[in-house]
Amino acid sequence: MASELKPGALIARIRASRRNKKSPPFVLDLSVEVPAGITILFGPSGAGKSTLLDCIAGLVRPEEGRIALGEKTLFDAETRVELPPQQRKMGYLFQSAALFPHMSVEENVAYGLDKVPANVRQEQVREILEAFRVEALRARKPGEISGGEGQRVALARSLVTGPRALLLDEPLTGLDAGLKSAIVDDLRAWNAAKRIPILYVTHSREEVDALGERVIALENGRVVSSGAPMDVLDAPRRKRLAQAAGFENLLAGTVLDLREADGVMRVRLGETACEIEVPLGYAAVGNRVRVAIRAGDILLATEEPRGLSARNVIAGQITLLERRGTMVIARVNCGVMFLAHITPGAVRSLELTAGRKVWLVLKTHSCHAVD
Amino acid sequence: MRTAALSFIGLILACAATRGASAQGEELNVAAAADLKFAIGELAANFEKQTGNKVNVTYGSSGNVFSQIQNGAPFDLFFSADVEYAKKLEAGGLAEPGTLYNYAVGRIVIWMPQGVKVDLNAQGMNALLGAVIQKIAIANPVHAPYGRAAVAAIKKSGIYEKVEPKLVYGENISQAAQFVQSGNAQAGIIALSLAISPAMKDSGKMWLIPTELHSPIEQAAVVVKNSRKKEAAKAFLEYVKSAAGKAVMEKYGFTAPPAGEVKGKSA
Amino acid sequence: MAGPLLLSLKLASVVAMLLLVVGVPAAYWLAFSRWRGKFLVESVVALPLVLPPTVLGFYVLVAMGPRGPLGKLWIAFFGHGLAFTFGGLVLASVLYSLPFTVQPLTAAFESVDRKLLDASAVLGAGKLRTFWRVILPLSIPGVVTAVVLSFAHTMGEFGVVLMVGGNLAGVTRTASITVYDDVQALDYAAANQTALVLLLISFAVLCAVYGMNRRVWKLWPAS
Repeated sequence: MASELKPGALIARIRASRRNKKSPPFVLDLSVEVPAGITILFGPSGAGKSTLLDCIAGLVRPEEGRIALGEKTLFDAETRVELPPQQRKMGYLFQSAALFPHMSVEENVAYGLDKVPANVRQEQVREILEAFRVEALRARKPGEISGGEGQRVALARSLVTGPRALLLDEPLTGLDAGLKSAIVDDLRAWNAAKRIPILYVTHSREEVDALGERVIALENGRVVSSGAPMDVLDAPRRKRLAQAAGFENLLAGTVLDLREADGVMRVRLGETACEIEVPLGYAAVGNRVRVAIRAGDILLATEEPRGLSARNVIAGQITLLERRGTMVIARVNCGVMFLAHITPGAVRSLELTAGRKVWLVLKTHSCHAVD
Repeated sequence: MRTAALSFIGLILACAATRGASAQGEELNVAAAADLKFAIGELAANFEKQTGNKVNVTYGSSGNVFSQIQNGAPFDLFFSADVEYAKKLEAGGLAEPGTLYNYAVGRIVIWMPQGVKVDLNAQGMNALLGAVIQKIAIANPVHAPYGRAAVAAIKKSGIYEKVEPKLVYGENISQAAQFVQSGNAQAGIIALSLAISPAMKDSGKMWLIPTELHSPIEQAAVVVKNSRKKEAAKAFLEYVKSAAGKAVMEKYGFTAPPAGEVKGKSA
Repeated sequence: MAGPLLLSLKLASVVAMLLLVVGVPAAYWLAFSRWRGKFLVESVVALPLVLPPTVLGFYVLVAMGPRGPLGKLWIAFFGHGLAFTFGGLVLASVLYSLPFTVQPLTAAFESVDRKLLDASAVLGAGKLRTFWRVILPLSIPGVVTAVVLSFAHTMGEFGVVLMVGGNLAGVTRTASITVYDDVQALDYAAANQTALVLLLISFAVLCAVYGMNRRVWKLWPAS
């Protein structure tokens, strides 16, 4: 894909295989362009975000492709150009900060400036420690400061060398909201002043909203979309809304909780105590969503079922049974009204009548969060 | 059922007991000085063929074996390279009285590997003075009789001051032989029995050191008092004393012991 | 009694230092190389752990001899052999104590968090600087262990010295050899004396270092 090189933009067109113990092997095959400013790299775990950063930094060698920063080629498989990480003049902030535990904060920050004369170095270190409000910690060791302070120090360490691009790998994971916003502010201030390409990896919607000028969505090693945050993150939801027309149940709900590791989120239906698990979407806690469920995907039970793989079991009461040809429509009130389709034979063998207490069983993947 | 089992066990025990009783089919444990390796090896083999008694031989430095016997090592016979150790055992009550036997007199030689350009036969002891001889291996005189004899011969020849800086000490006579055979020492004073052994015979040249230059290396054997197979042990010793035994000893470089206990010159 | 003990100390010190010089590059390679045949090198390094010292000593003696590869070179260069010299002992001891240095060093280097090495590289530090400023300071406990183990191991060495030394006073007659000689000569009193002092020296060295090592570990948390 040809594009005019905007001055100082970072481009990467690469193909790399990843084989590590944590995730199954896959191939990273993509082409991205990162202009000056903050670009968010968004995607679920295992999508290849860290691998992409490692390739750009020079820590992993792609099999094919080209990586360039402005006019300088950092890697080109065809012409056999490969600059080692030392020469790429990038900043890289790891998830774990990776501060040198045996050096003080000051020594950590000064680490990348060893070729600079001592007085200039001291001055630059002092300036950036002040800018990131960690000056008071200068003599402490990484083991003596908090996680948030550590990330600020790591950020200062990466930026003091005047890098021409900055890579950040989920730097705010595990920090509380107050700290997060403080670091976000610092980063935005820096960005406003220096305007270098910044590639920021996250899977948090909040951070996207707070920082992102552009978003690139990555899934399974491929770019699925890129552009303005609204386009990238809301488009899938809009698509699903159109499909929801064929769903008999369209229930309003509120997102309670995101479980990224399991790939689900908990949604409260209406104002009830009824909570169900639906596949994880691009929503934040507190967002309103609508959950679409096909009536044919709902099971009824006359006893509270146990040992099922389905995660959603909701108690309710049949209010109406209506025969329509070979199908019976059951209306079940669980606090919110559900419509379920069952067979006449089931009605007979379970002796279903209006007023009967039943349990509804919904598979997580039968529930679709749309808005 | 029980009687059958008991009689079976009884039978086994009886067999075991019988094994201990007779002198037939015994297993002897013999400790021998390192220089006796080939001689005792053949003597043991012959004895086994003749009498059906197996002889297990352990080779080591006499001083070492002496200490071990003092501490209760289960040897039946001790062939020492130095009569002094055998005598000490007897004095300490650890030897079967009357069995001390001077089985041979050892001889020492200067040995040089092929490739060392020295006319050994012409120069004799003075060959050790050559510049090309940088290291001379002998057994450690502190505890090896062959080492003591070597030092005596060097001193008697009047060349000790010049030769002493070149000396290196093997833990026993076999190690001294190994030092010189591997070429790390250019010359060595070793036992005749080792020099004429198949391993060394064709890989170097030797010169027999005249007996005038050192006290005789009297080698004596003794039956250990704590042995449980004294009959068999004595039988082996008798075989060694016999004409056939002496012939084997001579074959391997040990001259016949003089009559009686007189420390005299040998034939 | 002082002579052989001083000789043992001298040998142990020289060997421990020499092994550091040789062992650090070897351990670095073992820790960071991704060559598929690495296991072969690891096995060779570990060989002296399982080989009887007399076997090792024997092969070293043969190699040092005028027919051996090392011997030929040495004699051509220096005019005399390597056996029965202090240098010969050093060579044999270096081989014998090799795994006692290389293994702790390798383990220490491997345990340094790889992310720190990545961070160092991205910040512009070459391999040498990364080693000197990041890997080595974080591996100090391993270095100390390596030096102490090889020192103590060489102090007590007997089999190899016996095979190669030639028992020359002041040159190759180490404390362990003297003890053995005294026992052979039935001088148990002298043997006891030397053995006791040897034991006390070794124990004191080990105590000092293991005691100190704990504090060193506390200087920074495991990364």
